[in-house]
Amino acid sequence: MAVEATTTSMAGSGRSPLERPLRARFPDRLLRWVLTALAAGILLLIAFFFVRLIVEANPALSKFGVLHFAFDNDWDVSRSIYGALPLVVGTLITSAIALLIGVPIAVATAVYLTELAPRRVRGPLTVLVELLAAVPSVVYGLWGVFVLIPKLKPAEAWFGRTFDFIPFVGADVAGPNYFIAGLILAIMILPIVSAISREVLATVPVGDKEAALALGATRWEMIRIAVLPYSRAGITGAAMLGLGRAIGETIAVTLVIGNAPQIGGTIFEQGYTLAAVIANEFGEAANNPLHRAALIAAGLVLFVLTLLVNVLARAFVVRGQRKRAGGPAQGQAAIAAGGPPV
Amino acid sequence: MSAMSVLAPISGRRRRKDKVARALLLTATLIALVPLVLVIYYLLKRGLGAISWHFFTSDPTGAFIGDPGGIKSAILGTIEMVALATLISVPIGIGVALYLVEYGRDSKFASVVRYFVDVMTGVPSIVFGLFVYIVLVIGSLGSGYAAWKGAIALSLLMLPVITRSSEVVLLLVPDSLREAALALGAPRWRIVFRIVLPSALPGLVTGSLLAVARAAGETAPLLFTAAIVFGTSFNLSDRMNSMPIQIFNDVGQASDVLVQRAWGAALTLVVMVLLLTLVARLVARRSRFT
Amino acid sequence: MKSRILPTAFAAVALATGLAACGSDDNSSTSTSASSGSGDGGSVTATLNGAGSTFAAPIYQQVGSDLKGKGLTINYQGVGSGAGVSQFAAGTVDFAGSDPALTADDKASIKKGESIQIPFALGAITASYNLSGVKSGLKLDGKTLADIYLGKVKTWNDPEIKAQNSGADLPSTNITVVHRSDSSGTTKGFTGFLAAYSPEWKSGPGVDKDIKWPTGTGAKGNDGVAAAVKQTDNSIGYVEEAYALANGFTSASVKNKSGAYIAPTLDSTSAAGEGLTIPPDLGISAIDAPGKTAYPITSQTFIDTYRDPCKALAMKEGDAKAMGAFLKYMLGDGQNQLAQLKYAKLPSELLSKSQDAASGLTCNGSSIGA
Repeated sequence: MAVEATTTSMAGSGRSPLERPLRARFPDRLLRWVLTALAAGILLLIAFFFVRLIVEANPALSKFGVLHFAFDNDWDVSRSIYGALPLVVGTLITSAIALLIGVPIAVATAVYLTELAPRRVRGPLTVLVELLAAVPSVVYGLWGVFVLIPKLKPAEAWFGRTFDFIPFVGADVAGPNYFIAGLILAIMILPIVSAISREVLATVPVGDKEAALALGATRWEMIRIAVLPYSRAGITGAAMLGLGRAIGETIAVTLVIGNAPQIGGTIFEQGYTLAAVIANEFGEAANNPLHRAALIAAGLVLFVLTLLVNVLARAFVVRGQRKRAGGPAQGQAAIAAGGPPV
Repeated sequence: MSAMSVLAPISGRRRRKDKVARALLLTATLIALVPLVLVIYYLLKRGLGAISWHFFTSDPTGAFIGDPGGIKSAILGTIEMVALATLISVPIGIGVALYLVEYGRDSKFASVVRYFVDVMTGVPSIVFGLFVYIVLVIGSLGSGYAAWKGAIALSLLMLPVITRSSEVVLLLVPDSLREAALALGAPRWRIVFRIVLPSALPGLVTGSLLAVARAAGETAPLLFTAAIVFGTSFNLSDRMNSMPIQIFNDVGQASDVLVQRAWGAALTLVVMVLLLTLVARLVARRSRFT
Repeated sequence: MKSRILPTAFAAVALATGLAACGSDDNSSTSTSASSGSGDGGSVTATLNGAGSTFAAPIYQQVGSDLKGKGLTINYQGVGSGAGVSQFAAGTVDFAGSDPALTADDKASIKKGESIQIPFALGAITASYNLSGVKSGLKLDGKTLADIYLGKVKTWNDPEIKAQNSGADLPSTNITVVHRSDSSGTTKGFTGFLAAYSPEWKSGPGVDKDIKWPTGTGAKGNDGVAAAVKQTDNSIGYVEEAYALANGFTSASVKNKSGAYIAPTLDSTSAAGEGLTIPPDLGISAIDAPGKTAYPITSQTFIDTYRDPCKALAMKEGDAKAMGAFLKYMLGDGQNQLAQLKYAKLPSELLSKSQDAASGLTCNGSSIGA
């Protein structure tokens, strides 16, 4: 609890010994005023941010209507038609692939590190997993273009030929495609999903775990009975934070997705995402107000999507953290600190 | 003794399930590490060849045939812009965190600020770059690319991260210290600057260094604020090169030497980021409270 | 106490770098000084920023490195003709590199001042392919190329290709089509050629810098397409000759208007410049040139700038003079660099018209062109 600054004064002033002279209170007031102004400034900045984005996006949104802009399947720059459905779908497909591949591995890693890893190995392994977050996004893109794409092409082609009865799988493999983008995204969200999951798993009451073990459960059964059900909300939140990351990732994706404004028929075809279109086309749009507005509108959609996902995610994580002594701040600090370069 | 005989021995099937599950979880962890190993392997394999004294001391020439040059301007550009971004975002971030901890533990206003700062950490960096582009590059406030505008975009990115991690660290300073100082008659500002900040310093430095490491690797915010330039520049009101942008530009090239330069630059960047992260962890270990 | 040294040192370094960076405005790279200590009294120390065509990027980069020794820094970013013209009109660059001539729409969008376009070179848009076993020039005509890019011709041993290449051993593999994903002058030139020989292409995807491609994978810039072709077996892509040569591509010999199959060489590129109609704004197009030995997919390339850059871009006089010097070099000594990069010089009549246009540059009314 904040203790108000009523203190004893060393220099007596003739009045109550508890009162401090007005002059001495000035630095306090100044400090408080400056800090409050900073905090208010942040809020103003965010509001300005939002408003400015909406204003700049307006020409495109009003011309096509918000729904048409978001759901029309026609992004045609030369005819000045901007329907962002291919972008939205591309963003969703790559994020879905990223979640499908990345979350199970991340959660499994978190479970292993918190419950099963021998003590001496735990530290170094944790550091290694977190190092994945230290690699900048452009480096992942570089690696994706020159290592993943050529090396995985034969495997993708084989998979497409053998399993082409599965919807969205086909044998025609473009070099850069949805799948590669999703795979790289999976690698990039792994550290954050794993870190938050580890935080969540660490809050499981030891008593529950010991009770399960005492009743004769094997280690795995203990995890299955006592740990995972307890952590479900928190882990869902971690996955959603990973989703938020995946949606907003720009550079690595634009290097490996092919940047084709179409909705590919299979996961091995080229596509486009909201973030990638902004990075790619802003240069052309410098003097084309409608194009520029369309790109900003895409940015706005991106912003709103990530906001929604993050708000939901935090609600889940906080719910899963409620019982920890440190309170929500600990989990949210992990979220804040765990942001890798984009 | 008798209780032990009541418990049924674990059946072979359950034991097998346990073993399989453990093996799967271990495998998953190892799978998670495979990309890291592969990335480092290829960085070394393809990037080491580019590294030389010339690589670090010459600017990229842009020449189509002949010497592609090194990455001097990119390294210097990154250092300059990130330094400026740090100068902007660290004081403001720590300031806001101080507000939240010293004056805002109960107030509604503070929880709103905290919530929105949290929300800002999730904003994709390209949206920040876009915002700075709209307001500062082509907007009424100015025109043209400039390094300081890139630094502003980076600082927008670093700000929420620094604020949140600083808040956590400042909360860890025990209230008993504050109360003791208050009881001895110290004014608020002295408590902040003489007691709270110094105790939290290692943690604050760690948080800031991690934010710096992240900003050093960012490409998207710089794409349309600082642009690319080949020559070394110390003029912040002009365009400036940077490592991520240089790599991004070289990735799409067909020329082998340019691609190799990209790998070399990527290796250098990763080493820079890793060093910063390592230093941050070392500093964190010295903290009295974590 | 040890724990204080590290953070303090870090803070000191950051502060020092920041101060050094902020306080060096006198080191402004856009300052002009007729008597800078870098050499003869007539040299100009200035920086010019340009962006645009990747087709011509090799020339700008070569010229840039030639002029650097004389105190003139040219920062050119290959972002595609479309983006280049757009940024030029928005005022974020001093000049644009554009392969197609400015259209009426383009000119209308350039509101800052009167723009001029100066052609300075011709280059060949090759149809380069990565096909093992077919080492020397495949023969293709406009209709076949259009059908490949329409997705109608799907394999290398398709009858349409076979008919023109009876001697070659064509595999039955699928053709991977590579095209541009950004707004490109090279695309406009290439599609202009396709439309001249394929009505289906003309009424379908059409001719533009940025079109809806019926098939194929996209890459950014001439360099991106070159990279994609290099890395993908059985692929075909359209890239400027300099890129094809730098990567050792095999290029197709394309059938020209006179019916001959012509390979992209310096001679055939120059031949495409013969007999061009030169409109008053110098907006030529060398695509599908009529000459007997002309390479049919030859494109011109322009520098677009303002007639009065001081007024239009608030440029200082020294920088505007530098622009004049830059143009003079490009149209003078710089033309000698073109051959080694395999671009063709303009025919002399056109070159002198370009030089006239360049000498018409003014700064706030007073002439600065050479």
